[in-house]
Amino acid sequence: MEFIYQFVWIVPFFPFIASILIGVNLLFFPKSTKSLREIWAIFSILLLSIAMIFSFNILWQQINDNIIYRYLWSWIFDNKIDFKIGFLIDPLTSIMLVLITTVGVLVMIYSDSYMSYDQGYVRFFAYLSLFTASMLGLVLSPNLIQIYIFWELVGMCSYLLIGFWFTRPSAANACQKAFVTNRIGDFGLLLGILGFYWITGSFEFEILFKRFNDLVINHEVNLYFANFCALLLFLGPIAKSAQFPLHIWLPDAMEGPTPISALIHAATMVAAGIFLVARWFPLFQLLPFVMTIISWVGAITAFLGATIALAQTDLKKGLAYSTMSQLGYMMLALGIGSYQAGLFHLITHAYSKALLFLGSGSVIHSVESIVGYSPNKCQNMAFMGGLRKYMPITGITFLLGTFSLCGIPPFACFWSKDEIITDSWLYSSTLGSISLVTAGLTAFYMFRIYFLTFEGDLRVNLNKVAFTYPVSIWGELNLNKKNSNKNKFVLNKYDIFFETDQNENQTDNLSFFSDIKKLKYPKESDNKMLFPLLVLTLPTLFIGFLGAPFPEGQIGSDLLSQWLYPVFKSAEEITSGNWLEFGLNAINSLSVVFSGIFIAFILYGPFSLFPQNLEKNIEFSLEKNLNSFFSFIYNWSYFRGYIDVYYNIVFVKGTRLLAQSLSFFDEWIIDGFVNGFGILTFFEGESIKYLEGGRISFYLFGLIFGMIILLFIGFFGAMF
Amino acid sequence: MSNFPWLTTIVLLPVFAGCVIPFFPNKGNNLIRWYTLGVCLLEFLLITYVFCYYFKFDDPIIQLKEDYNWIDFLDFHWRLGIDGLSIGLILLTGFITTLATLAAWPVTRNPRLFYFLMLAMYSGQVGLFASQDILLFFFMWELELIPVYLLLCIWGGKRRLYATTKFILYTAGGSIFILMGALTMGFYGSNQLTLDFQNLSNKSYPLELEIILYLGFFIAYAVKLPIFPLHTWLPDTHGEAHYSTCMLLAGILLKMGGYGLIRINMELLPHAHSIFAPWIVAVGAIQIVYAALISFSQRNLKRRIAYSSISHMGFVLIGIGSMTDVGLNGAILQMVSHGLIGAALFFLAGITYDRTRTLFLDQMGGTAIYMPKIFTMFSSFSMASLALPGMSGFVAEFLVFLGIVVSNKYSFNFKILVTIIEAIGIILTPIYLLSMLRQMFYGYKFSKFTTFSNSNMDAGPREIFILVCLIFPIVGIGLYPNSVLSLWNSKVSFILSKFIV
Repeated sequence: MEFIYQFVWIVPFFPFIASILIGVNLLFFPKSTKSLREIWAIFSILLLSIAMIFSFNILWQQINDNIIYRYLWSWIFDNKIDFKIGFLIDPLTSIMLVLITTVGVLVMIYSDSYMSYDQGYVRFFAYLSLFTASMLGLVLSPNLIQIYIFWELVGMCSYLLIGFWFTRPSAANACQKAFVTNRIGDFGLLLGILGFYWITGSFEFEILFKRFNDLVINHEVNLYFANFCALLLFLGPIAKSAQFPLHIWLPDAMEGPTPISALIHAATMVAAGIFLVARWFPLFQLLPFVMTIISWVGAITAFLGATIALAQTDLKKGLAYSTMSQLGYMMLALGIGSYQAGLFHLITHAYSKALLFLGSGSVIHSVESIVGYSPNKCQNMAFMGGLRKYMPITGITFLLGTFSLCGIPPFACFWSKDEIITDSWLYSSTLGSISLVTAGLTAFYMFRIYFLTFEGDLRVNLNKVAFTYPVSIWGELNLNKKNSNKNKFVLNKYDIFFETDQNENQTDNLSFFSDIKKLKYPKESDNKMLFPLLVLTLPTLFIGFLGAPFPEGQIGSDLLSQWLYPVFKSAEEITSGNWLEFGLNAINSLSVVFSGIFIAFILYGPFSLFPQNLEKNIEFSLEKNLNSFFSFIYNWSYFRGYIDVYYNIVFVKGTRLLAQSLSFFDEWIIDGFVNGFGILTFFEGESIKYLEGGRISFYLFGLIFGMIILLFIGFFGAMF
Repeated sequence: MSNFPWLTTIVLLPVFAGCVIPFFPNKGNNLIRWYTLGVCLLEFLLITYVFCYYFKFDDPIIQLKEDYNWIDFLDFHWRLGIDGLSIGLILLTGFITTLATLAAWPVTRNPRLFYFLMLAMYSGQVGLFASQDILLFFFMWELELIPVYLLLCIWGGKRRLYATTKFILYTAGGSIFILMGALTMGFYGSNQLTLDFQNLSNKSYPLELEIILYLGFFIAYAVKLPIFPLHTWLPDTHGEAHYSTCMLLAGILLKMGGYGLIRINMELLPHAHSIFAPWIVAVGAIQIVYAALISFSQRNLKRRIAYSSISHMGFVLIGIGSMTDVGLNGAILQMVSHGLIGAALFFLAGITYDRTRTLFLDQMGGTAIYMPKIFTMFSSFSMASLALPGMSGFVAEFLVFLGIVVSNKYSFNFKILVTIIEAIGIILTPIYLLSMLRQMFYGYKFSKFTTFSNSNMDAGPREIFILVCLIFPIVGIGLYPNSVLSLWNSKVSFILSKFIV
């Protein structure tokens, strides 16, 4: 029954319609649209739900019949070139469709409550729908041009959403940074697309892969050029999936509202890069050099993200670096050729991370009325603690997400991550050890986040001691910094207004500061926010079984690789599905994970395992012996690996300098010629004016003088 | 009816209608405004009507030809005709001029002259794109300068005299070369002057002469388009002009250069063009990056947009130089697309200036709260300008990219180099446009704007109407480029067929 495939256009079209309708109405009838805001929200949720039902239907069809369906129509035609746009449905697409629509619907329901006090509520839904539409269009794309089109569109939506609170200067900077960084990726993507068009003469995946394959087999292609183009193509995923050299935008992107962080910067858009590499897997596979680069970029990103996440004080930024690290895992998996593991981790991570982000949003939402609306405060884990008591559902769901992300069985990410670690061990021991160490670090920072946020006591209500509390943990180095922060905190308390959103209740904010000792406790968020959290725990718990190997121990016989089978045939060769082997490998990685959790528990846990003095002794000796090491790690982590600083010096300042010097050149040299010419003409005219004084004697003098000179010239000319 | 001189009517209607304006009673501006708007609209409708019913799109030859003897002695004919190349630009002219008239609503100083000049300019521009005689082409080219000069030096900003002098010297200096080239071409090979485009295209010249002619014409168009390093008049002129004039300048005037380059240099001098094409491509690529970087360092809003125009014109050059179907299609589309986007951006800069009373980016900031509609529109058009897919700029730039890649003319390394430089341009474009947006709208500043917060600062219905009118074709072309590409597709193949030999 291919009937349903003909209506696949509905999936991206419905959210698109929602966003256009909301956008147009908001522009022309702002007041009435804002007064009907609930209706618009329900409208967009409804349309996206229809899209979701369609996607489930398509997935079901795909599981049953496994037909690759393609529908194209002409977009630009010319006598020579014919560009087409259309749809391509295969298992990969259908899985992504379901992923995007489910997370999208849940995030929309969530934001209805999260954004309810915001002035830009309706605008938010317009952006959200637009983003979902372009993301769905991206996964449905059958050719490179369409991929590029939607790739840019999701980038623009991300720009709009990061800069959603445009009055915040930090958000303004972050959105520009995100867009420009992504544009660098697009630069590579565009060049790569053009390069492959040059090589193969087609934009359609199927034809392109086939022709390229033939060319490689017949050695008719310049391999250096092909590698170069493939690397340029890979620049796109590097930027979009926040891989190593271009990861800098992702943490800053956390300036956007939290539901956006969950949807775009954790579950869907950043996964687009992974999706793209997966889509082009048949192509990359032919170029072993590129595959090596991909795997190393992935490994470096995974490790770097994990190390930087170690000491983040900002709840969302910590999660952002964790996202970056997990994306690195996926890229690593794709690079070493285990396609199925990479995609599996994409799915499991998307649900777990969406859960974590929505949980963090719930925390921020309830804490911000107590701590202050500035993101430096309401997202600062130093002010949190013990929140599980006040918001148990959020706490428990967050814990489940943490378990999953750390890779503790039977939660979702365990299965996928373990598969990646096993495969990378098989591929090379260096990559294997990197991924294993990263798993330990993941466990450490995730539990650090969990302990700091949900366990212990609420630190904001403790007196000023509270603000110095984290200092003892994070080493001496930061003592001064924290103190200065504290002073600033007191001094600037009325400046907060700048950073709060317009409609947020200022009196509440100020009353808190006027009476800082008045104790307030965070409340559990309302049902609309808890519902998505609870729903997301289901996939976090169970989706892992999709890719879990069957106990029979057949090779490559988990459900997921069966679905993906037509996409990529050699997946089965790589996947080792032996249950016993799997278990042995799992023990290996689990031990690392648990040691990570253990260290986190010692340092940040709610109660100490050892007697008080002993712990102090340990801490003391640790600080004494490893102080320089810790401070190095801490600094490295706190300053984001110094990468942003150097980028700022080299690229931002460099471009500015270049622009200014060129501008100087333009103004003084090129325009200088023009103006100089004008001035010269002016002076010439002026001087010639004086020659015509009207005195006969002067004219006669000129006449005779000229004649003498002429004679001389004639004379000497005749001589030589 | 098919023998009716449609084109003559179209060309002469605005200027004759404009001649009536001085006889209007001196009772306020409203009458003159509505009259001018009505004439513009009528003209635009007439253009669309004629093109709809009397123009065959798949025919590459000149249609709707008219030929009247004007000055017998010189063989100077009133020769008009249109083909796929000019039709797009004539439609653009009609569209932008109508909107510019609407945009000039707040002009209260000497409105009779102002609106007369607008109408005269309308005629000049349409006449230029419709002329089929090289001397008539020159005549229209010069005719165009007078209204622009007056519009600039009467309604301009503070440094308007400097800007106008620069403009007139630059462009008049450039057009001398057209006249010389036209006469040389006309006199060559016969005792009789032949000035008809069609006859001229059948002539063949010795290569040296062709190169000299080519360079001469090229200088004139290089000033108009503008091409680096003859571009410095543009930021001054655009910085000083009233925004309705800016719309015309950016929307149409710059396209005259590109049109001339295709119409005369490519069509009439194909041998020289194939020699100079690599240089044009190289200059285009440099221009994209150079102007984009300079734009980034401009503090003045209008100058920043002016440099962005220069940068975008680089794509036109590359498309023209690529000598492929796709590339040339892209170049023409880029002219139309930039005509729409550039006009919109200048209009937006103008209406923002009306509200903030400053053009310096560092003095603005945090204005998004007071004028959300302008913010939305400015963001949308900036996105269009940085070639967001779904908007016309993307299609044009993509076609140009593809044109250079599929071109057989160039070597492998040259193509790689040009494509990479060009692509650096697409990184720089968002840098200057988005930082412009950030400086203008984002953030929060206690400034003089706060005092206006009670009064309604946002765009009014007239301004919104203009912007919405502009965004429709931009999105329309972006979503379905065939709708306009089919206008000149056959003409482009016809032009390029000369190069296959």
